[in-house]
Amino acid sequence: MAKEIIAMLLAGGQGSRLYTLTQNLAKPAVPFGGKYRIIDFPLSNCVNSGIDTVGILTQYQPLVLNEYIGNGQPWDLDRLHGGVHVLPPYQQASGSDWYKGTANAIYQNISFIERYDPKYVIILSGDQICKQDYSDFLRFHKEKNAEFSVAVMEVPWNEASRFGLMVADGDDRITEFQEKPENPKSNLASMGIYIFNWDILKRYLEEDEADINSENDFGKNIIPNLLKDGRSMYAYHFRGYWKDVGTIPSLWEANMEVLDPEHSGINLFDDDWKIYSRNSGMTGHKIGPGGVVENSMITDGCRIDGTVKHSILFAGVRVEAGAEVEDAVVMGGTVIKSGAVVKHCIVAENVEIGEGAVVGAMPSGDDHGVATVGNGVFIGDGAKIGPSAMVRNNVKGGEEQW
Amino acid sequence: MVKTNADVVGILFPNSYDSLVPELVGERLMASIPFGGRYRMVDFVLSSMVNCGIDNVSLIVRNNYLSLMDHLGSGREWDLTRKNGGLNIIPPFAEKTVKPYNGRVEALASILGFLKDQKEKYVILADTNIAANFDFNALLDTHIRSGADVTIAYTRSEIPESAKTSRDQGRDLYYTLDIADDGRVTTMYMNSTQNGEQNFSMNYYVVDRERLIDMVNVAYVRGLPFFERDLIAPHLDKLKVYAHRYNGYVARISDLKSYFDENMKLLDDANLEALFDPSPIYTKIRDDNPTRYINGAKASNVLVADGCIIEGEVENSVLFRGVKIGKGAKVRNCVLMQDTVVEEGASIEYVISDKKVVVTAGKELKGTDSFPVYVAKRQRV
Repeated sequence: MAKEIIAMLLAGGQGSRLYTLTQNLAKPAVPFGGKYRIIDFPLSNCVNSGIDTVGILTQYQPLVLNEYIGNGQPWDLDRLHGGVHVLPPYQQASGSDWYKGTANAIYQNISFIERYDPKYVIILSGDQICKQDYSDFLRFHKEKNAEFSVAVMEVPWNEASRFGLMVADGDDRITEFQEKPENPKSNLASMGIYIFNWDILKRYLEEDEADINSENDFGKNIIPNLLKDGRSMYAYHFRGYWKDVGTIPSLWEANMEVLDPEHSGINLFDDDWKIYSRNSGMTGHKIGPGGVVENSMITDGCRIDGTVKHSILFAGVRVEAGAEVEDAVVMGGTVIKSGAVVKHCIVAENVEIGEGAVVGAMPSGDDHGVATVGNGVFIGDGAKIGPSAMVRNNVKGGEEQW
Repeated sequence: MVKTNADVVGILFPNSYDSLVPELVGERLMASIPFGGRYRMVDFVLSSMVNCGIDNVSLIVRNNYLSLMDHLGSGREWDLTRKNGGLNIIPPFAEKTVKPYNGRVEALASILGFLKDQKEKYVILADTNIAANFDFNALLDTHIRSGADVTIAYTRSEIPESAKTSRDQGRDLYYTLDIADDGRVTTMYMNSTQNGEQNFSMNYYVVDRERLIDMVNVAYVRGLPFFERDLIAPHLDKLKVYAHRYNGYVARISDLKSYFDENMKLLDDANLEALFDPSPIYTKIRDDNPTRYINGAKASNVLVADGCIIEGEVENSVLFRGVKIGKGAKVRNCVLMQDTVVEEGASIEYVISDKKVVVTAGKELKGTDSFPVYVAKRQRV
């Protein structure tokens, strides 16, 4: 039974710029927005766009991600034919190889794609927060009679040189591709989301694999080769919310934007475009008689007896009486003991912050970074964690780390 | 914690005690009454069974069971989508000569064929009017150790006033027990009006499956509809009936007031932990986003599920999924079920709102501590 379109989701990224948050975790599995993980966004987009077959390409720290995806049921992707499949690199008669690049990852799974005999393949990235209707993108691709389309975002001209840019004519046909150029000719940044006609993609993947000098990368190799051959290539303008959360500050910022959907445009309260996730199964959250919650998002299992302002708390976070949490992203199962102050920071899962400890807070007015506390770290009573600190190991009571 | 493959078939009676809460069962039954912010009554006994390894559970429904079927679906959330056993909802046969069952005996008689086909040695019968994180393995242990024919779980608690005064209990009888030192039940009282703590049956029973089939066969041909009244209570001299005391947390729904009170009790952390911490309680997933507190929101002493948007003030209340409280609205001492909307400037106190109720802007609605106001499903105030 042929599928019109299937999705291949690149989820192998190490996310090295998220440092301690991705020490034991692939980037797409990083928690986001109170009860989600980053990968919930592309997966939910697929289901909401009518794409029921998704291959997830993993290789870095895949354990959490594998368990999280499971049989795909939370996303309604447990299907008889199709559904979600996690695709790690595997051994073949001809030998085995890690995924050498984004293109090579797809190349190694050509046989997976062929099982569904698709007309189109959409390549997705597992490290972006974005609500996007891929069916509209596909409609565009078909209308333009394209062989390749890429979703692009208009970015401010002064930031354009940080991106891979598509130069396109009045009909959106791509004429040139510039990778992080000094003198940008366009402000249309590639979102790393592509639709290919499968026959074209397959041919170029095979040619690319045969080229021993290739880095096997879509941006560096495949797209330039398509351009060189004068293929029918179009740029699809996406105007919704899109954020690459590849760095600590951008991850923090995107979380904070969830608190202000009226301005940021990322509305998680959208019944027509639900983001699905694996549920914590905890009971409702509880705000005690002395608890204060302002401008925040709180989810199941939280127990709040302290003060929480402008923050996102994930499932099962405890904030004891007298503790203060502000401008913070606090991931699941973390306990913040009485008198502790937690500000302007990301605290990962199952952290314990001792009584009277201070994380990230600092005198106002200074331009500071986002303090980050890694998974399962224990921070002793009265310890101090500086505003830009990256905490990987336990910090004893009374000690300081900057 | 979790033992697998208990040698037990679970049988639930989702319509038991419907008559005590006529308001809440207008469009549902006891088992599907929302409770505790994101659950329904059936979740507690069903999750408890699953957590004790009982993965073959049948529900014999009588009427108004659409909401229950919608809630349970294929039983996946309770891990009861099994090839062997799993979840099994048994609707009444619609035939001219067969009326919906009254007592348990008639209900069980309608599934005798099913009971005969099962492989498990024991059957546990249970109602759904109690929210408890119950250890069915402990009950089973008591049953096996004492060599009883029937074992009844009970709590030490007072009989609710509403139960004593209600004259219209029809088939919804309740039972208290006299228990000898060795745990054997010596007398079983029906609809007692005694004051003070009693040995109050939870209506959780363990019976050997083949024994149960015999009992039901004999009773049915004699036209005896009630399991407790007709099969157990008169035969305590011959039958070995033992009691198993449950000391854990129990929320028993016996009328609208107790429904309100039992929800409110969960605002006490000790009660919340006692009910939910022993082992997980599963429920239907709705994929709501986290609850959002917008500038100007004030919340104190509240239990809140996901999917709510709170801009106003809320105090001493239980909010189910998807409740919206507008700017300047005040909510005190309320139980607001799924998707209730309290619009801007409205003020409500001691209100139980059923699903999808809207309290329009600026309106005031106040009940009292002893008499909470109930607003039925989909009503606009």
